[in-house]
Amino acid sequence: MGEVMRKPDKPLQVNPFRLSQPMGAALAFLGIDRCMPLMHGGMGCTSFTKVFLTRHFCEPIAIQTTAVTDVTAVLDGGDGSIVEAVQNITKKVAPSLIGLHSTGLTETKGDDLRGVASQVDYPLVYVHSTDYEGGLESGWGKTTKALIEQLVEPTTATRTDKAVLLPHVSLTPIEVEKLKEFVVLFGFEVHALPDLSTSLDGHLGEKQSALSSGGTTVEVISELADAGLVLSVGDSMQPSAAALLKKNPSMSHLHLNHVQGLSATDELASALLEASGLEQPPPSVVRWRKRLQDAMLDSHFSLGQTRILLVGEPDFLAGAGKVLSEAGARITLALSTVDSPQLNNIPADRVRVGDLEDAEALQEDYDLIVGNCHTEALAHRFHKGLVLRGYPSWEVVGNQLQNDLLYEGGAYFLCEVANAAEHMRAAKHKF
Amino acid sequence: MTRKPKIRDLLDESACTHSPTKKNACNAPTPGATTGGCAFEGSQISLFPYADAAHLVHGPMTCVGASWETRLTHTSWAGRDLTQMGFTTGITTNDVVFGGEEKLRSSIDYIVERYAPEAVFVYSTCVTAMIGDDIDMVCKQAAEAHGIPMVPVHAPGFVGSKNLGSRIAGEAVLTHLVGTQEPETSSPFDINLIGEYNVTGDMWQYTPLLEELGIRVLSTLSGDGRVAHIRSAHRAKLNVIVCAKSLVSLTRKMQERYGTPFISVSFYGKRDTSASILAIAEALGDAELVARTKQLITREETRLAQQLAPYREIFEGKKAVLNTGGNKSWSIASALQDLGFEVVATSVKKATEADKEKAREYLGEAGILMTNPGQEQAKVIDQTGADLLLAGGRSLFTAIKKKIAFADVNQEKKKSYGGYAGLLNLAEDLKNALQNPVFKNVARRAPWEK
Repeated sequence: MGEVMRKPDKPLQVNPFRLSQPMGAALAFLGIDRCMPLMHGGMGCTSFTKVFLTRHFCEPIAIQTTAVTDVTAVLDGGDGSIVEAVQNITKKVAPSLIGLHSTGLTETKGDDLRGVASQVDYPLVYVHSTDYEGGLESGWGKTTKALIEQLVEPTTATRTDKAVLLPHVSLTPIEVEKLKEFVVLFGFEVHALPDLSTSLDGHLGEKQSALSSGGTTVEVISELADAGLVLSVGDSMQPSAAALLKKNPSMSHLHLNHVQGLSATDELASALLEASGLEQPPPSVVRWRKRLQDAMLDSHFSLGQTRILLVGEPDFLAGAGKVLSEAGARITLALSTVDSPQLNNIPADRVRVGDLEDAEALQEDYDLIVGNCHTEALAHRFHKGLVLRGYPSWEVVGNQLQNDLLYEGGAYFLCEVANAAEHMRAAKHKF
Repeated sequence: MTRKPKIRDLLDESACTHSPTKKNACNAPTPGATTGGCAFEGSQISLFPYADAAHLVHGPMTCVGASWETRLTHTSWAGRDLTQMGFTTGITTNDVVFGGEEKLRSSIDYIVERYAPEAVFVYSTCVTAMIGDDIDMVCKQAAEAHGIPMVPVHAPGFVGSKNLGSRIAGEAVLTHLVGTQEPETSSPFDINLIGEYNVTGDMWQYTPLLEELGIRVLSTLSGDGRVAHIRSAHRAKLNVIVCAKSLVSLTRKMQERYGTPFISVSFYGKRDTSASILAIAEALGDAELVARTKQLITREETRLAQQLAPYREIFEGKKAVLNTGGNKSWSIASALQDLGFEVVATSVKKATEADKEKAREYLGEAGILMTNPGQEQAKVIDQTGADLLLAGGRSLFTAIKKKIAFADVNQEKKKSYGGYAGLLNLAEDLKNALQNPVFKNVARRAPWEK
């Protein structure tokens, strides 16, 4: 592992790619069936988040705001605007759950969400998600933890054939589905929390709902504690796993930093074999492992001569960095949105918390970028190869169907990055 | 604190047409039953197109993290386009507790040193307004230190709507920039374009025509704008408000302060474009200019008629339902009519009283003005036998269900529909929408469904 810089060395952010905790919280609530995320803050916070997610997923996004004004910012402890918001929402739709989460504004004024929540006579989960701390990943993680703490019924009974999957925020809807299917192949009934794979996977529904459609139901969440196996993916999901284990200490817990590439998928497969008592995984798993091995060999010629800049949330960087470096790519720079213990697990020459101005200053260090659509301008400016991943990705369609996980996704991902590297080199010859 | 805008004054705009009736456009939002942006967003939209200025957002991550690089406000500025960059102090818990002024100060220094902007706009946000950072003081000191204008913009999101934010932004420009420099040259036909942001290059669809007539765009607020030009805006002979109610306070004050008259125009559709160009010429009060303008309009309309002829054949007799907001409820309707569509219905849900009048005027007595389009539009399509729905993405399902063509008019657009040339873009897009079989194909039932 290379040098890790955890603190930015300048007063401001220039071309930032860090996203806010409230957005992460809203996204997690959208992984709950028929949920209405209610962002407690000025209406702009919600509006920005709504437009951002609508453009990323190309789907309507259900979300509401408590619309704090200058008057309520000063005079109201949150009670008035939250209670009124819940009344107004439930007048029009009947969500199964209201996901109340705060913003920088309401954290600055110090609203007591827990106190207000106790006044609301409607199913509601609250979470503090100020946007001057953490980021998208931690907002998602904190919300998952809050859902577990406030909804899951404690129990001592366990079902050995039931598994709970806690995926980090950078996993796309299809990746969550692939992960669920993988676990199912080993004989488990599996529930993901949150579960974007059935809500924001881009399915054409019967009608356009004003609420999230798909996702884990509130009933399923309340009964999660009898699962024999808890599987957390990404460092940001460790606290959620711990919260779930508190509900039933007899659950067994498997934590994976990520599930990208050969060794990480091997680790998951062997753990599932052991937990299920099976001798051999199903034939499709065996076949995909061989395909990944072949893809690693096929792509290594190109990747071995490619220096890569990775941009994203810490849990994403750990996974993408691993699968690429297994095929010989050199991650010369990994730029992270925020600090995280995960930064120690990124196989990169240099890891730093920063912004895209940093990436511009170090542009001689890499040939190809794997990052969100804000890196597109950077790639064009300096003629770098580009593979778009992460939030936001506004200019391409199909983000929710992009799978890089496990043996199968790893094979596709390595081919895509190697092809992008070759395109980049071919284009460069023309200059 | 005399230089800060008075929110109450800005809310109570005497030049606003709805002001006497106290309509709801400027009222407080309802918790749990509202959508739309905040004052901060409105101020951004108004000022961001100044590509030679840096736009520094003093606040936490949400404010700019989710909003930079979103609008295609093109610029001809040869330097690095600062519009497409995000600058934020990205304040943290530490700043909330101890204050963020020092961070703001060093951020401004950093930007001036590295990016050499012509000015820095400093936006306050909910959190930094709550903790009471004195951005006026920091801006004043930084302006003295660096010798370029620093413009504090006091539009934290909680003070109100996007519209109010635009007014506050206009106020900031008026207070800190307008009148601070003299233009190099002056002409009798100098105008300012106010409220034109050059989204997707809209402005460039008609400014060449103005130039051809000898009308000079002295400054803009703020499409393809320059800080130096807006500083000399007080020498213009006319303020032209383009499709924007929000900046009427600014133009009224410029009239009071500098005697600059103002007119309000729209460049969507053939009739509006022609009417607007003529209105500018007439307001400048030169008979010869007016005559030249009429000739140019005839020439352009003739050319456009030829170019549109093949499209008109396709659109003739086709009926359109329009579900959008504000002035678009009539301006796009007018453009559609210019293309040969019959506009059978439009939404007036978010329109002002004046917008409703205009919509009625354009659609005629038989036209349906929908006050609750979400519920009405499906029925209206059935009743009228409409062929095309133009609306925001949420209405896509209505189109699929009714198996009619759909065009998204609310998404961040990429092509210009402005001026005469923009009408051709719109025609091409609508032709593609009408000819695309996707809606019929998608609506196909699965073989296992009854």
